[in-house]
Amino acid sequence: MELDYLATVLLSSLASASILLIATIGLAVVFGLMGVINLAHGEFLMIGAYAALTTTKLGIPYILSIPVAVLITMAIGAVVEILVIRRLYGRIFDTMLATWGISMAFLQLAVLIFGTVTPGIGMPQYNFQIGDYSLAGYPILMIGVAALMMAFVYFLMTKTVYGMKARASIQEPEMARAIGIQSARVNTMTFAIGCGLAGFAGAVLLPIVPATPSMGSVFVIKAFLTVVVAGPVTLTGSALAAIGLGGGASVTASFLTSVAGDAFFFLITATLLWLYPLGISAKWRWKM
Amino acid sequence: MFKIKNATGGYGKTVIIRNVTLEVKAGEIVALLGRNGVGKSTVMRYATGLIPAMEGSVEIDGQPAPDASAKRAQMGLGYVPQGRYVFPRMTVTENIAVAAASNGHDHKAAVAEAMKNFPLLVSKANDLAGGLSGGQQQVLALARALAIQPKILLLDEPTEGVQPSIIDEIAGILKRINKERGISILVAEQDLDFCLSIAERAYVMEKGSIRLETDRDSLRNDKALQQELLGV
Amino acid sequence: MNFSQKLYSSAGVVFPAFGTIAVLASSGLIDPYLAYVATSWIIFGLLGLSLDIVWGRGGLLSLGQTAFYGLGGYFGSVIAINMAPVTGNTLIWSLPAGAAFGALSAAALGYIIFYARMGSLQSTILSYTFTLLLLVLTQTFRLDVGDAVIGGDNGMSNIPGFVLGFGSAAEALTPNSAFATVVVIAAVLYFFTRWLMRSTFGRIVNCVRIDSQKTELLGYDVRKYQLLNFAYAGAIAGIAGAMFGAWSNYLNPSVFSVSEAISVPIFVLVGGLGTLAGPFLGALIIGGLSFWLGGGSVGGQTTLILGLILVLLVMYLQNGMLGGLTLVWKKFLPDSNEAARLAGAVQIDTDVLEGILKDAADHAGPAKDVSSTNLFKQFGGVIPVNKISRHFTTGRPYSIIGPNGAGKSSFLKTCVGIYKPEGGKVQLGDEDITRSQIFDRVKKGLGVKNQKPQVYGELTVLENLWVAAFSRTRNDADALVICNKILGMLGFEKQSGVEASALSHGQQQWLDIGMVLCLAPRVVFLDEPAAGMTNEETRELSLLVRTLAKHTTVVVVEHDMEFVRTLEGHVTVLHQGKVFAEGDIQTVRANERVLDIYLGRREHV
Repeated sequence: MELDYLATVLLSSLASASILLIATIGLAVVFGLMGVINLAHGEFLMIGAYAALTTTKLGIPYILSIPVAVLITMAIGAVVEILVIRRLYGRIFDTMLATWGISMAFLQLAVLIFGTVTPGIGMPQYNFQIGDYSLAGYPILMIGVAALMMAFVYFLMTKTVYGMKARASIQEPEMARAIGIQSARVNTMTFAIGCGLAGFAGAVLLPIVPATPSMGSVFVIKAFLTVVVAGPVTLTGSALAAIGLGGGASVTASFLTSVAGDAFFFLITATLLWLYPLGISAKWRWKM
Repeated sequence: MFKIKNATGGYGKTVIIRNVTLEVKAGEIVALLGRNGVGKSTVMRYATGLIPAMEGSVEIDGQPAPDASAKRAQMGLGYVPQGRYVFPRMTVTENIAVAAASNGHDHKAAVAEAMKNFPLLVSKANDLAGGLSGGQQQVLALARALAIQPKILLLDEPTEGVQPSIIDEIAGILKRINKERGISILVAEQDLDFCLSIAERAYVMEKGSIRLETDRDSLRNDKALQQELLGV
Repeated sequence: MNFSQKLYSSAGVVFPAFGTIAVLASSGLIDPYLAYVATSWIIFGLLGLSLDIVWGRGGLLSLGQTAFYGLGGYFGSVIAINMAPVTGNTLIWSLPAGAAFGALSAAALGYIIFYARMGSLQSTILSYTFTLLLLVLTQTFRLDVGDAVIGGDNGMSNIPGFVLGFGSAAEALTPNSAFATVVVIAAVLYFFTRWLMRSTFGRIVNCVRIDSQKTELLGYDVRKYQLLNFAYAGAIAGIAGAMFGAWSNYLNPSVFSVSEAISVPIFVLVGGLGTLAGPFLGALIIGGLSFWLGGGSVGGQTTLILGLILVLLVMYLQNGMLGGLTLVWKKFLPDSNEAARLAGAVQIDTDVLEGILKDAADHAGPAKDVSSTNLFKQFGGVIPVNKISRHFTTGRPYSIIGPNGAGKSSFLKTCVGIYKPEGGKVQLGDEDITRSQIFDRVKKGLGVKNQKPQVYGELTVLENLWVAAFSRTRNDADALVICNKILGMLGFEKQSGVEASALSHGQQQWLDIGMVLCLAPRVVFLDEPAAGMTNEETRELSLLVRTLAKHTTVVVVEHDMEFVRTLEGHVTVLHQGKVFAEGDIQTVRANERVLDIYLGRREHV
């Protein structure tokens, strides 16, 4: 096998792992800091994509449409948290089912508003050359975006007062209240940030993944499994799980078939769940 | 300064404490004695609002305490729980900083002050709290409670699982903050020596109620009372 | 009992029976297209029933039911395609084949989930991953089995419909007759399931859901019950899948899809979790709603409405339609827990107790000794059990005392098997039980009462005792005889129909002790039995323990020195995981070093 081919495969696999990670981080934040599995995460991603798409259509540059998408998804996320999630804390399966319901409702609303087919904005044209092989530049850029997102969330959660409050609230909920943390507000914020990250993902991935009402469901299943496999050290665990599962699936897919890639993903997930019932990071001593 | 009036509470439908009334005056250190399972921890959790009141009320600094625990903390109620419950995946510094910041205090100053008061924590400042020994966690839990700048401090079994040298250190710190900063203290304990060394007054609990109120001297001299009350 | 109460207790038979008859009576009259569509609702209801068995009764939210449904469907249909030309009748092939394949695949998945003792979230996720794996794999899975062609994402067509007649001339049923057939099959399965869930098997499955550890402490191999229950539900799902194949004459990988997987919990939630009949009602309501709203199964605003219904249900009507109705109905019935308030104080009659214990000895054999040798247990840096060697025998009670954190409860839990020791061994009689499973130790004669009262809150007092007694007798009638004796001894005759959750803390302690006695244990471990008891109750308890110790080996972990004194037995003082002192209570009380560790004095320690 030629070296340039191998490099191409590795780089594009890392890119698809990064794309999975970008789509996962918001979910990881919400699960890791609130103990809530948000199955509507994919729909927030979709909302972010449509927000960015609509904004660009209004003539605003794509790069500026991304913060718009983040703000819109954060606002919707905050409303969902206050109306629904807040009433279901501590009932993990109920929140799962309720967010599933929300996801169905959002999906159908998107169909009503935008129809089932919408044009993408087209991938910014930029290609790499590795030996004999040419690679699209934008997906490779996502490796950097994923790293930036990780760094941002890590900074937010470890260096800011909000981040400390959020981590305290999930680690010892009672003591957090007893030392004066108003966990309800912190949780609304956390959920909104998680949704905002999903919106960011939808917007930033728009050139690769065109906006459709069902685009969220493509990501949410794998993102969801990645987070559960990751366990309590959410951020680092998710990064590792995304690279292992997503990257591994992508490598498998490029040598075999895309079905084999997916099968790899699910089989490894099942095996990891069996071996590490509490997630791969259950015994790690890290902050995030 | 701090009052619990007619407290009745427990878990679910189970009543653990009945009609508990006690008071800690300004600048006073009071002990809550009794053997395991008499409801000392439940009184503490009732006072912090972590379990709902079936009946009765709590008063902090002359004001009726609101229901929410977080609001009670902001009124000046510090709490060191039994079992410490430090935030395990946060560093020692963060444990202290988050407590200060949640109550509107400068967190950098709070950390600096805690490091001054508890030299033991300095070398551990950037370690995760979950990795500390029991005694170190106890000191950290105390430092965290002090970072909210409490007027009244509740301590639940601060000596449990802590080595004797650190117990003496904790006793010293408590006496000092009581004297220098005028913080009132209510401490639930089984360790009689520890209580006798810091508290002037004590309430003794039995089967979920206060059985009697006594002072340091009568408790120190009455061996029969000691044996009976602590079940020895 | 008045009419309303009678109807309430048999509502699970009466209403479904009426429903079935009404539906059958009208099946010939309705529009064939409606009959055709409604057939699928009944099939979905059956699929919902399979989840209700696993989730409502077994306590595991499985997202793998559609996997068993799909697998049963594929397998049943493959057999039916090949065998139908021979016999004509399709159902005698597809239904058993679907059931068998559904049950087998569920058993395989269940084995991993239950025997690895996975957490509930992990179990749900694993079952979901299993479904998704099938969704992916079946996309490209192509195989010809005789006449059947499994064509990957093209699906499998030419599945024969519902054929009841035999011989090559037999014709597929009309939509209306097929509907009636499916209703009959579903009704038979419903009534069988209801019977099964009320049988001893179902009662124990219930107990496992409510408190799995307690059920194991009563001597049941809980994993076996969970696995069997899961496999049975898999069989039901498989039958539903086989009928779905016959209904649509076509199957493709979309049966494993995400939207299929989630629709099942919706049916169950709408109808009422744990009600068994609820899923049918749920499927009927959802199916009917989609039918009237959107014309057919998909389209229009169905998804939107379903999504909102799910959110509202989870938030406001957790018990679903039937669950909600039951609660309202119950309010109009006399309160069966009324008697809880009338219970008097427990009075132990030693003659009665001795009778029970002698009887137990006749059935279960003589008392057994229990001993630990260098038993060692470690949690991280903490060593709660540090090489403890003890030998306990019958004749007088043994007490284990010590200050907080001395390792008393940990020692007990390690002996019982709740904690697995890192070193040393535990012997029961002549047998080494260090590595035995908890239920196995209980079967060999260990009885345990944990510190908190462990009773099944939603079961009645009598049912609680029955579960314990049945574990030993394996016979319904014998178990009832034992229950009645214990009921009498505890003075609970009038409270036998009261739900355990309505009892006071002290009463629950007694009920728990009663359950342990029902096991006729040869060794009894009691962890702080006097906690939360009044002085009078503590006195009775002391009498009970002393009497018990004459017939069996009794070990009591206790904090209450006064109670320990009244036991007049042997006392072991633990401190920091080690034996610190021992002897009778007077010796221990006179020991200055013991006083030191209790009072926290540090001169001697």
